[in-house]
Amino acid sequence: MTSKYIALPKGVSEKDFDAAISDFRKVLGDASVLTSAEQLAPYIKTMMPVSDAEHTPSAALLATTVEQIQKIVAICNQYKVPIWMISTGKNLGYGAAAPAERGQVVLDLKRMNRILEVDKDLAYALVEPGVTYQQLYDYIKEHKLGLWLSMPAPSAIAGPVGNTLDRGVGYTPYGEHFLFACGMEVVLANGEVLRTGMGSMPNSNTWQVFKWGYGPYLDGIFTQSNYGIVTKFGFWLMPEPPAFRPFVIQYQHEEDIVEIVETIRPLRISGVIPNAVVIAHALYEAPVKAKRSDYVSGPGSIPDEAVYQIMKDHKLGIWNVYAALYGTQEQIDVNWNIVTQAFGQSGKAKILTEQEAADDPAFAYRAKLMRGDMTLTEFSLYNWRGGGGSMWFAPVSQARGSETLKQMALTKQILAKYGLDYSGEFIVGMRDMHHIVDVLYDKTDPEQTKAAYQCFDELLTEFSARGYGIYRVNTAFMDKVAETYGPVQRSVHKTLKKALDPNGILAPGKSGIR
Amino acid sequence: MKKTKLRSWLFSCMVSIIFATSNAWSAQEEKNSSGFAWKDGAEIYAKICAYCHEAQVGPQIRNRELPTKYIRTIVRNGNRAMPAFRISEIDDESLAKLADFISKKEVPH
Repeated sequence: MTSKYIALPKGVSEKDFDAAISDFRKVLGDASVLTSAEQLAPYIKTMMPVSDAEHTPSAALLATTVEQIQKIVAICNQYKVPIWMISTGKNLGYGAAAPAERGQVVLDLKRMNRILEVDKDLAYALVEPGVTYQQLYDYIKEHKLGLWLSMPAPSAIAGPVGNTLDRGVGYTPYGEHFLFACGMEVVLANGEVLRTGMGSMPNSNTWQVFKWGYGPYLDGIFTQSNYGIVTKFGFWLMPEPPAFRPFVIQYQHEEDIVEIVETIRPLRISGVIPNAVVIAHALYEAPVKAKRSDYVSGPGSIPDEAVYQIMKDHKLGIWNVYAALYGTQEQIDVNWNIVTQAFGQSGKAKILTEQEAADDPAFAYRAKLMRGDMTLTEFSLYNWRGGGGSMWFAPVSQARGSETLKQMALTKQILAKYGLDYSGEFIVGMRDMHHIVDVLYDKTDPEQTKAAYQCFDELLTEFSARGYGIYRVNTAFMDKVAETYGPVQRSVHKTLKKALDPNGILAPGKSGIR
Repeated sequence: MKKTKLRSWLFSCMVSIIFATSNAWSAQEEKNSSGFAWKDGAEIYAKICAYCHEAQVGPQIRNRELPTKYIRTIVRNGNRAMPAFRISEIDDESLAKLADFISKKEVPH
């Protein structure tokens, strides 16, 4: 007999699922419980090199209140139905809106989209999961609050809750987003509502200003996890500085990354350069200005000679260091002297500011990201190979020049083996670097898709063998990455899962936790 | 009864108790204000589509009299690099307005 559903949750009979769907409809109304293939189509498209069937949901639930979510988890516990929570669902290179496992019910929180509070004086916001950066940006402008956002490159269509819970990063001085998180409200699997930190105390007015509360700090266990459903989220915003000076420093040789990192590290640790600096390879910036097909055709990765030609034609360095200074004009002038002296020593660096580069499309979008303005220009990356295939390979590196060179060379070598290009950048943290590589491939080409899968698998294997951990990964590879962190961490994660969600209804498989 | 089954059964009982006693102080707040809603097709175009389709990331789609049904299908299903957009992001009524906005020829001022 053909099922009336396009997929079913693992281990749940159609009869039980019928009953669960009927109960979901009683809570949410018919229009907010989606089960048809047409309704679920937007939840299936991913950029990963695996069959859509592996990540097809059985249903999607559009909840708008905490009370509804409490009732939903009760139904899920009753019928052992797993739900996969999403906020804006635009984590495109990491799995988008599709669940980790076939048949999971997507709990879509996009319509839970109220900006609950933005405090101008204390510079914080409290929002629901469906709020986008664009929505918050418009709210701040409309109310003339003088605050800046920090967001990832898919800015306008992504949101602070999902991005921070997945421990994403941005490009301003507040770029390490979870560092600036302050207070969550979480619906637990048993339906209880926890407010973390100071939020647990009745009548407290310090929920969004003091992170730690009393006793063990809990917020961390609700990031990259499946221990609860975050329904409210507080975070700090940066006061708009009186002056802002973005700049780019270009270098011509791949091995110059050693000098770049050794020069930046002391400036970043001491706070002279306060923002999350990006060291972008020419092939990360090229898609904004150039077409791959103008330089190379046929299979295989792009040769170095073609990359040098692109650099020459489009005024790019092989490394392009984007950073900015923030503060009063006097502060910026002092720090600018320190920066230019540090980078000027070897004679290899070419330093450009808005004066020289304002019209350059790569510089323009990077400057926007560093001041928290909306732009989706980085999506140009997806035109490089075409065909809608993308996975973010994201190992962590020490902020040490020799390490970055090793990681870059290893990544490039493995990508080339599978005919793929090195579209990489390093985002400089306080002492670490997020090495971010967009593994781009044509998903309409079965051979390239197969190669991309094997390539990504080998990247994970080879990097973990050398002690390089991955900080975040798409839903097709979560178990593999969890395994690289060893059995004790997996066991602790599992123990917490059993304690907080014994029926395993919340996002089974997230970060390899079941 | 096995230990894990007992734990699961106890957990289910706990869930029932929580709902029977209804501790949801936060639920009251839910009634306060409504969430975000799109004004019209032009706003959706400016706040989502234009970032790619007016920035040489995606193709030009305005002033081409593209069929509205085609636009709605692409928005819901995505196309290669273009992401799909869910009913929770752009509701059906707003999508119809957006498709009209994109499809209609811009009147020159």
